[in-house]
Amino acid sequence: MSPLRRFLRTPEAVAGAILLAVLIAMALSAPLLFPGDPQAIAGPALLSPFQDWSLPLGTDRLGRNVLAELFHGARTSLAVGLAAAAAALVVGAVVGTLAGFAGGLVDEVLMRITDAFQTVPSFLLALAFVSVVGSSLGIVAIAIALGTWTGPARVARAEVLSIRERDYVAGARVIGMHPLVIAFREVLPNALPPVLAMSSVIVAAAILTEAALSFLGLGDPNRVTWGGMIAEGRAVLRTAPFLSIVPGIALVLTVLGVYLAGEGIVETTAVRRGLS
Amino acid sequence: MSLLTVSNLTKRYHRGDKTIAAVDDVSFHIDSGETLALAGPSGSGKSTIARLVLRLIEPDDGRIDFEGDDFLALNGAALRVRRARLQMVFQDPLAAFNPRATVARVLDDPLRIHGIASRSERPRRIAALLERVGLTADLAPRAIHEISGGQRQRVAIARAVATKPSLIVLDEAVSALDVSVRGQILDLLLDLQRQERIAYLFISHDLGVIRAIAHRVVLLDAGRIAESGDACAVIDAPQSAIGKALVAAAPRLNRTKQDAS
Amino acid sequence: MTALATIRDLTVTYRRDGSEVAALKSINLDIAVGERLAIIGESGSGKSTLALAIARLLPASSAVSGGIEWPGLAHAPLGGRDIGFVFQDPSASLDPVMAIGKQIAEVAHTHLGLTWPQAYAKAKHLLERVRLPDPGSALRAFPHQLSGGQKQRVAIAAAIAAGPKLLIADEATSALDTIVQAEIVALIRRLVTEDGMTLLFISHDIALAAELAERIAVFRHGQLVELGTTAEIVGAPAQAYTRTLLDAHIGLDAKPLLNRAGLDV
Repeated sequence: MSPLRRFLRTPEAVAGAILLAVLIAMALSAPLLFPGDPQAIAGPALLSPFQDWSLPLGTDRLGRNVLAELFHGARTSLAVGLAAAAAALVVGAVVGTLAGFAGGLVDEVLMRITDAFQTVPSFLLALAFVSVVGSSLGIVAIAIALGTWTGPARVARAEVLSIRERDYVAGARVIGMHPLVIAFREVLPNALPPVLAMSSVIVAAAILTEAALSFLGLGDPNRVTWGGMIAEGRAVLRTAPFLSIVPGIALVLTVLGVYLAGEGIVETTAVRRGLS
Repeated sequence: MSLLTVSNLTKRYHRGDKTIAAVDDVSFHIDSGETLALAGPSGSGKSTIARLVLRLIEPDDGRIDFEGDDFLALNGAALRVRRARLQMVFQDPLAAFNPRATVARVLDDPLRIHGIASRSERPRRIAALLERVGLTADLAPRAIHEISGGQRQRVAIARAVATKPSLIVLDEAVSALDVSVRGQILDLLLDLQRQERIAYLFISHDLGVIRAIAHRVVLLDAGRIAESGDACAVIDAPQSAIGKALVAAAPRLNRTKQDAS
Repeated sequence: MTALATIRDLTVTYRRDGSEVAALKSINLDIAVGERLAIIGESGSGKSTLALAIARLLPASSAVSGGIEWPGLAHAPLGGRDIGFVFQDPSASLDPVMAIGKQIAEVAHTHLGLTWPQAYAKAKHLLERVRLPDPGSALRAFPHQLSGGQKQRVAIAAAIAAGPKLLIADEATSALDTIVQAEIVALIRRLVTEDGMTLLFISHDIALAAELAERIAVFRHGQLVELGTTAEIVGAPAQAYTRTLLDAHIGLDAKPLLNRAGLDV
C-alpha cells in the first residue's frame, strides 16, 4: 500500500489535512476575496455575526470586517508558524549534527549553549527579543525560533551519535572524505526523520506563540493577527464575545489541523520504514 | 622493506576504574602483494587492530609505518590523501553504505575526492570498475538496497580498488555471504591481488578460508599475539592453546564423509 | 518411524507493499520423534520461514496454505510448552531489564503450573544443566552482564524450561565465534539426548549441520531440494545444488586457492 493511501485511510490524518487545506486556502485567497486593507473600516462598529451578509462575521469595535481580518490573520499565522519552525529545525539540525559528529570540545561548547537557551522559558525569550529588537514579521519568527531550536538540536545530536558509529561513516572516512562533508552529506540526511517528526509540534507551538505575542501587543503592528484580534475583543468580552471566540476557534482548529496532519505523515512514513 | 609495519601497537579501554587492553603490544608486517590473516575468538582484538591500522581509532602506544612513512604522524588533509592507498571492505555490505546511496554515487565518491577522474570521465571509470569486479555497468543507477548481498560486496570491493590502493583491510569481508557467493568473492580478491599486487589484511574467524587464501596468519588471544607463521603450517599444526582450540572447534565435513564411505 | 509432525503442502506467502512473495512452496516433510533434523539453505531459501511456521510464529502479514499435523502430540502444540525456540540473537530474545532467573522461571511457572519457589529451583537446575558458571548468583544477573555465548546458554535454558517435545534452533550459533559455536552445538546435542527431545537445527552451514544432525533437508528458493540421512547428503548427494553447497565449503583440509609460488619476490 502506498504511503498516500495509508495516510488517506487514517481518519485523524484526513481531518488534519482538510483543516490545513482550508487554512492554506484562506491564506492564499485573502488578497483576492478581501482586497485592500483588512484594517480599514467596513461598516458600523460591533455588528454581530450573521446580521449583514456583506459582513457575515460582523465587525469589531472600530467597524472592521471580522471575516476579512480572519482571512488575513491566517496568512500571518501560517507565515510566522512555518518560518519560525523552519528556522528552528534548520538551526537545530545543523547545531545537533556538528555537536554530535565533532564530539569533544565542539560538542561541549554547543551543548552548553543549547542548555543556556533551554533553561530560559522560550516564551520569555521571544518576549524579550521582540521588546528589544522590534516587531516585524521576520523578527517575530526569529524570536520564536530562538526558543524552539534546542529540541531539534538535542534530537539531531542523539541520532548523529548513533549514526556516526555505523560502518558507512567509517567507510566514508576510509575513502578520504572531508569530515564536514561526511557530517552534512552522509550523516545529517539520515538523522533527519526523527527531527522532522517534531515539526508538527513545533509549527503548532510557533503559531500559538505568535498569537500570544500579538495578544500582548508585541506582534507586527502592520498586520492582522489572530492573537491581536482576541486582544481587541477582550475589551468588549461581555457584550461582543464573538470577537474573541471567532479567532480563538480559528487558532484551535489550525493547531489541531497541523498536529493531526503532521502525526499522520509521521505514522505513515514510520510504518513504511518499519516494513523495509 | 615491508609495505606495512605495525610495532608494539597497544589500545586500552577504560571501563569504570578497570583498564582493559583490547590490543596489547602487537607487532606484525605485511609485504606488498601478500595476504596476512588475523584470526582469533571474539574479543581477541582483531577488529580493533583493523580500525587502528585504518586510523579510525587512535592507539595508546606503538607505531604504524605504511609505505615507508610514519602513518600515525599524518593528519588532516595529508592523511586523507594517503587514505587512497589503504582501503577497507566491511563484513556487512549493507551497513557499509549510506542507506540512500546508489551504486554510481558510491563509486563516484573516491574518484572525485582523490581527483582520479574528471567529472565527464567518471561515468566511464565507474562502468570500468563495475566490470572489473564482475558486475555490469547497467547496475550503476540502482540503489544499494535493491541489489543482492553478493553484488553489494562486489561494489564494496570496487570502491576499495577505485583509488589504486596497495593494501586493503578485509574485516570479515566474506563471513556474511552465502557460501556459493563466498567462493566467487574469494576468487575475485585473489585475481585482484595477482593483477594489481594488492596486499590484504584479512580478518576472519574462519580458519578454513584463511588457510585457503592467506600467506601468513597471526592468531590473537585477548589482545596479544599467541602464534604466527605460514598459514597452512600454523593451521595444520597449531602450537598455542588458542590455535589448538580454534582448529578443534572448526566444523568439518570430511569426518562425516569418511563415515559414509 | 513415528512422526512428531507431518508437514503437508505447506506454502507460505508474504505480502509486502502490494506484491506477494512466496517464501515456501508446497513443502512436504515429516519430522520423526526424537530425531535431529537439520534444515540448511542460503539466504532466501525459506529455512527460517519453515521454523517460524512450525512454531506458529509467522507474522500476521503472511498467508499460509497446507498444514502441519502433530501425530506425535495428543493436542495442538503450544509455543513455549511443546516447542522451544532458540533464535540467532540471544540479546533480542532475552528481556534486558528482567533478571535471567525470572525469565526462565516464568516459562516454568506459566506452562508447568509450578509455584514461584519451585519455578526458581527449576531455573537454577536448568542453569546448571546449560553449564552457566555459578548458577545460584546467575539467577539474579541481567543479560547485559553475560557474554554472547552465556546469553545463548540462558536462551536455551528458557527454551527447554517447559520440557518441550521439539527444540528449534534457528541459526542459534551464527552470531558466535567458532569456539563458542562448538560449545553451544555440544550443549544442544547433550540436552536433546538427555531429554529425548526432537531437534530442528536451522543453519546455513552444511558442515555444522552434518556434525549435529542425523538427517539433513536442503532448501533453496522456498523449495525442498533434497532430504536424506547426513551420510547420504554429505557422501552421495543426489542433487547438483547439494553438491554445490558441499563443494563451496572450505574446510581445514581444502586445497589452498592461493598460488603460493607467485609470492616469491
